[in-house]
Amino acid sequence: MMLFATLASIVFGAMAKDTPHERLLYGAKVFAEFMVIGLVLSWILYFIP
Amino acid sequence: MVKTERMQAEEVESAPGSAWLTGAAAWFIPGLGHLLLKRWYRAILMGGAVWLCFVIGLQMGGHLFDLNAAEGSSQLLQVPPMIANLGTGLLYIVSWLLGSGFADDPQQAARATYEYGNTFLLIAGLLNYLNMLDAFDIAAGRKP
Repeated sequence: MMLFATLASIVFGAMAKDTPHERLLYGAKVFAEFMVIGLVLSWILYFIP
Repeated sequence: MVKTERMQAEEVESAPGSAWLTGAAAWFIPGLGHLLLKRWYRAILMGGAVWLCFVIGLQMGGHLFDLNAAEGSSQLLQVPPMIANLGTGLLYIVSWLLGSGFADDPQQAARATYEYGNTFLLIAGLLNYLNMLDAFDIAAGRKP
């Protein structure tokens, strides 16, 4: 999941925004969102039989 | 619409032929579009991510989709994932020619990483469509 989030956020980050700093921030934000949503969904599904 | 607005709209809408070629190159070989535009970092980052995603997907034992439906499955259901897989361009074509990644036997499907591999292969294609659009926009002058 981390690998997937890293690769996807690299592409999203490189595509979006205008300055390198903004891209880096956006890429990090997308990565964090992938990870948090992935973990939350995993825990929700863990309790669903 | 006043004349100046119409002229501006036409300016935005028309893309030069080179932009279409760059877009096609970006689809065909991931990263090539940005390389042609001399956007080295983008080519390495974005193209590299697609290559890596594809190779990891294959190594995980993922399945590439074509129109040959498995027994009991509809051919129509193969089309959306095939479109996603086709996004990798040459990588898909070479794999198809080599017959690599297209096996759909129970032994491969039983691998713990099979579904992960599928996802990586699908995402590689979809990310390359984004790369293609980005290269096209840059070549058309719509993006700095």
